[in-house]
Amino acid sequence: MALLFRKKRSRELVFIWALLLPALAVYLFYRVIPLVWNVVLSFSFWSPGKPAKFAGLYHYEEMLFYDDAFWVALKNTAVFMLGTPIAIVLAMALALLVDQNIRGRSLYRTLIFLPYPMMIVAVGIVWRWLYNDSVGLINYVLRSLGIIDQPIPFLESYDFAMASVMVAAIWQIVGFFMIIILTGLQNIPAHLYEAAVIDGARAHHRFWRITLPLLRPSIFLCVILGVIASFTSFDLIYTMTGGGPGLATELLITYIYKSSFTLSKFDYAAAVTVVMFLLFLALALIANRLAGGDAGKVDIAD
Amino acid sequence: MATVEFRKLVKRYGTHQVVHGIDLAINDGEFLVLVGPSGCGKSTSLRMLAGLEDISGGEILIGDKVVNEVEPRNRDIAMVFQDYALYPHMSVYENMAFSLHYRDTPKQEIRTRVMEAAEILGLQDLLDRRPKQLSGGQRQRVAMGRAIVRKPQVFLFDEPLSNLDAKLRGSMRLEIKKLHRKLGVTTVYVTHDQIEAMTLADRVVVMNSGNIDQVGTPEDVYHSPQTIFVAGFIGSPTMNLLPAKRNGSATIVVGEKSDFHVQLPAKSASNTDAFVFGIRPEDIAIASGDPEDGRVHVDGVVDVVEALGPDTLVFADVGGHQVTARVRPDVKPDIGQPVRLSLDVSRAHFFESESGKVVS
Ligand SMILES: Nc1ncnc2c1ncn2[C@@H]1O[C@H](COP(=O)(O)OP(=O)(O)OP(=O)(O)O)[C@@H](O)[C@H]1O
Ligand SMILES: [Mg+2]
Repeated sequence: MALLFRKKRSRELVFIWALLLPALAVYLFYRVIPLVWNVVLSFSFWSPGKPAKFAGLYHYEEMLFYDDAFWVALKNTAVFMLGTPIAIVLAMALALLVDQNIRGRSLYRTLIFLPYPMMIVAVGIVWRWLYNDSVGLINYVLRSLGIIDQPIPFLESYDFAMASVMVAAIWQIVGFFMIIILTGLQNIPAHLYEAAVIDGARAHHRFWRITLPLLRPSIFLCVILGVIASFTSFDLIYTMTGGGPGLATELLITYIYKSSFTLSKFDYAAAVTVVMFLLFLALALIANRLAGGDAGKVDIAD
Repeated sequence: MATVEFRKLVKRYGTHQVVHGIDLAINDGEFLVLVGPSGCGKSTSLRMLAGLEDISGGEILIGDKVVNEVEPRNRDIAMVFQDYALYPHMSVYENMAFSLHYRDTPKQEIRTRVMEAAEILGLQDLLDRRPKQLSGGQRQRVAMGRAIVRKPQVFLFDEPLSNLDAKLRGSMRLEIKKLHRKLGVTTVYVTHDQIEAMTLADRVVVMNSGNIDQVGTPEDVYHSPQTIFVAGFIGSPTMNLLPAKRNGSATIVVGEKSDFHVQLPAKSASNTDAFVFGIRPEDIAIASGDPEDGRVHVDGVVDVVEALGPDTLVFADVGGHQVTARVRPDVKPDIGQPVRLSLDVSRAHFFESESGKVVS
């Protein structure tokens, strides 16, 4: 009996591992090995075709104490991240709006969601055209309305480039956030609002004391996704400004790209990547902790 | 505490009318139960009283004041919902204190009132819990606690017990009854469960597709149903309802094949010929010997016998109609065998089949 059990059990185990293996292999080759290799690289001197040498904390010291560009990119990433709360507030307003019984609400929903699945490179190109100082729509409208005399080269200006890129990023993600928040909203039972109405809570009380607390999981899912996006928005920045003018829109991710593929400092880029990864991990953990460990949970049924 | 009155109350959804101008006066401190089948407009009427639905026509008065245009929060009512509608992110204490925050109640007073309500309902040990951590019966109690801390003029209940199992429903029913006796607040209670209606109500309102068929004490609606609908709706197992025709001036013939004659009530001025003859299962026994005064014997065939314990239900086929009799538990007729039933026609009900109204 015991032998049979063991045999059956081992057969099951083989089966389970056989099913897991392909996925694990992909995960190993595309995630774990590069990550480990990246960490190793960050502690080495290495350039393509040369043997690696142990470097200790050399790259980290360089980055933290001597490289102003790194700090600019870090600051820019933080600024870029501020787009997330803005996008969430906008998404919340839009979600509350399309959650009403207004005519054509499914049309609005679709229109607002539309930018999200669009290829980001295409989004970048469209916005580059919109911002263009000679043929761009925005400048044309502003000048036609007499708001400005001179065209503004949004993406080439130190003052406007970051804000302009953020507007595009927010525009791109707000529809997705809206869908998340809308799902959360529609999971709040109507009876709760009716009970609150009878209890005497006015519309704004109901929003602060019922809607917002019950949306917390949805909102924190947006926060985490927004943080991820601000660490990984390479394509948008690269197509719109390439990090310029100067370092005005340089984010950590574009800085890593430039360090490795433009300047061939793969080892140094690896160190920046490790720092970015740790920052990202910390933020995601904090956000999930604040959400009570259930970011993204939509069912509040008890 | 207050009286409540409906005057020609109408509800329309678009062009579809679901409540057809009902009139109802509820006394101060009364426990009134709205009962009726699914979709008859009970909840809709209650929700209009609560202010959760707009009133399409007519008026609602609470304490002599027309409240059609009054916001729900100013109607001084409290409502208990079927799914309790507890705020899932708040503790039991916060749930009960919620409404007091919006009524400028001082903190100390809030505490006193919540504690008072918690004590009445036995919730003292649960005040820090979230609704998720409570059983169905406890949630139900919290929902009631939330209603009573307000000390409102009127309590509204919309099928508050239908999410509970049968046993718990029985004990909660008792608690609601006690609570009403203690607080004496005017209460409007919606249910489709006639046992709840019969046990809780001072008066029962039987609704039928957007109209009120009868208003009366539980005894009234049980013993003197005014319409065929009320006769068939109240009572379990349901009243036997058999077609009948006029035969002569004061008698009617019941059934088509296994006919029997009965006297119409003396004062009957009805000039229609088609009737419905109604008799409750408990007014039918198994016959032995010759019919006594006021009883009629009919022959049938036993279909099914259900022994319930305190008594036994016999379902018999009488001339193609099913007739139910509630008999003593020691009587065990054989299935498929002929049976002679003895009907106490002095307790029978007669209705005009066209209007559905009782003949009296
Ligand atoms: N929002 C609505 N729009 C259109 N029709 C509705 C709406 N709400 C209810 N109705 C209709 O009004 C009628 C009465 O509904 P109501 O909810 O009052 O029934 P009820 O007596 O409470 O039934 P139940 O016992 O099933 O709760 C039903 O026919 C229902 O279909
Ligand atoms: Mg209902």
